[in-house]
Amino acid sequence: MNTRSITAPQRSVAGLPMGALAAGLGFGCVALIPLLMDDPFLIHSLIMVLFFAYMASAWNFLCGYVGQLSLGHAMFSGVGGYVSVLMFTQLGLSPWIGMLFGGLLAAALSVLIGYPTFRLKGPYFTLTTIAFAEIVRIWVENTNDFIGVPLKGAEGLVVPAAGDSLWAFQFSSKTPYFYIILVMLVLVMLATRLMERSKLGYCLKAVRGDRDAAEALGINPTPSTLTALAISAFMTALGGSFYAQFFRYINPERNMGLELSIDMAVMTIIGGQGTVAGPLLGALILTPISEMARGHLGGGLPGLHLVVYGLVLMACVLYFPKGAIAPLGRLVRRLTDRRGSRP
Amino acid sequence: MDPLILSFAVVNGVLLGGIYGGVALGLSLIFGVLRVVNFAHGSFLMLSLYIAFWCWSLLGLDPYLSVIVTVPAMFALGYFVQSVIISPLIRRERALVVEPLSALLLTAGVFLVLDNLALMAFGPNVRAVQADYYLPSPMLGSIPLNPQRLIGALAAVLVALGLSWWLRRSHMGRAIRATAQNRDAAALSGINVPFVYAVTFGIGCAVLGLFGSLIAPFMPISPSIGVAFGIKSFIVVVLGGLGSIPGCIVGGMVIGVFEAVASQHITATSAAIGSLGLFILILLVRPQGIMGRA
Repeated sequence: MNTRSITAPQRSVAGLPMGALAAGLGFGCVALIPLLMDDPFLIHSLIMVLFFAYMASAWNFLCGYVGQLSLGHAMFSGVGGYVSVLMFTQLGLSPWIGMLFGGLLAAALSVLIGYPTFRLKGPYFTLTTIAFAEIVRIWVENTNDFIGVPLKGAEGLVVPAAGDSLWAFQFSSKTPYFYIILVMLVLVMLATRLMERSKLGYCLKAVRGDRDAAEALGINPTPSTLTALAISAFMTALGGSFYAQFFRYINPERNMGLELSIDMAVMTIIGGQGTVAGPLLGALILTPISEMARGHLGGGLPGLHLVVYGLVLMACVLYFPKGAIAPLGRLVRRLTDRRGSRP
Repeated sequence: MDPLILSFAVVNGVLLGGIYGGVALGLSLIFGVLRVVNFAHGSFLMLSLYIAFWCWSLLGLDPYLSVIVTVPAMFALGYFVQSVIISPLIRRERALVVEPLSALLLTAGVFLVLDNLALMAFGPNVRAVQADYYLPSPMLGSIPLNPQRLIGALAAVLVALGLSWWLRRSHMGRAIRATAQNRDAAALSGINVPFVYAVTFGIGCAVLGLFGSLIAPFMPISPSIGVAFGIKSFIVVVLGGLGSIPGCIVGGMVIGVFEAVASQHITATSAAIGSLGLFILILLVRPQGIMGRA
């Protein structure tokens, strides 16, 4: 595997693997940006890049490693967003606590759905995930009131303003959101890194390589895939809560629609599935395109960014099936090797 | 339950379901031969609806006559998509059957491009063809039949019969079936496999072109209609059995009747949820569908 050597700790500086050092430095520099530049549009765009990198990483945690394509993950984002917002408006609970409940509910839901569907292979699995997510979306879109809980259907939910308050997860400046999503992204990438080197990671990769052979070796694919699915759903739901708090508004179309699922999958695939940095790379490539289409063209051409997504996706499937991280990794290796071989 | 209302819903469901089946034929044919799940299926239908609409609004061509434009245009587009976009993937993975997931991703890219190009070019507005004549409604007992839906459903049955006959009897049909059974053996017997693939994809899209023209007179046309019909086609094809031509029509009618009865007696929402639930159930319990062979 070409991608392996990017993440493998080949060399170390002062006892720390070079990869971790570079990642720490990189994120440290990113964390300084809001201190140096005070452009709300730039900060907003960066938040969107980090948000999509986070969502794609959560998707990658399962799908990238087990080799199944889920186009239903937006459902978990929706569950997370709706639970945290409803707990805040109905029970007065802080969204920080509500998002944990949303995550747990999404994880439970994912196991219920995943148990029967993971037997399905390839496109059958993909179509089933779309069907499940569409069922949830259509149901929410057409339900105004569910046993006394005001879901408000297609209209969506507004998070009532509560001023500048950490407890209510609401800030007048965009900067706190920037740091929150940055920390979330670092955590999900750390989790992916830990999982990659754990027994769970090796089981998932064995199942991805050849499910039948893995079973013949005595690996039961069900517990490992379901564990990864539950963690992935939990993290996706947290992202959905963040989205709800950041925009202070959610509706079924934006928070649990097919488009969000496609975004998560396409970014991971373009960046590189089954790698720690791939989803971040994909989000770095694609999100600026959509932000630019929205910001500079004044929304005059709706759908332009999705045309570009589609073209990039097609080019990737045909020419870089391992994602953009594979040629990038080769480049990095060539540069470091040259430097290393010099006397 | 009033028997008249119920029978009305059933008859309507059969007509609409026949059209669903006709629309899904191309998806089933392409999967049966190429093993490619064409995610852009609905987008091709959306395009042919727009072609029919612009023929009517710019050239004054009756939607039924626009068949002479939509069918060749969609055949050409399908041939192009297969031979330019998908065939490099098949060539790369020559030894194996195409890995269905990368083919699905590729057609998902086509879907994103086509749907959003249409959104950019035509805007999100809903358009409709207004015919300047009235077709008489034939009666089935005491139930009036919608003439345009009747034409669509009859066309679906005829196309399915014609396609089956053509696949069984014609030289090209034999080549297509041979390629579907075993690509390498077909190539060894002198069949030009890339050409067969491109023709199959073209035919699948040409059928969509035909139904685009046939449903244009009563269907509101917007860029997002592709997704709705695409998902419905997947349900129909999985229900009937992926790759089975008669299964497609039967599956379409089952879904049509189910939706018509459910939306008449419960709600339209539960009809939509129910048909998706049926789809999941079939995939889990009987993945080969009603008419498919395992």
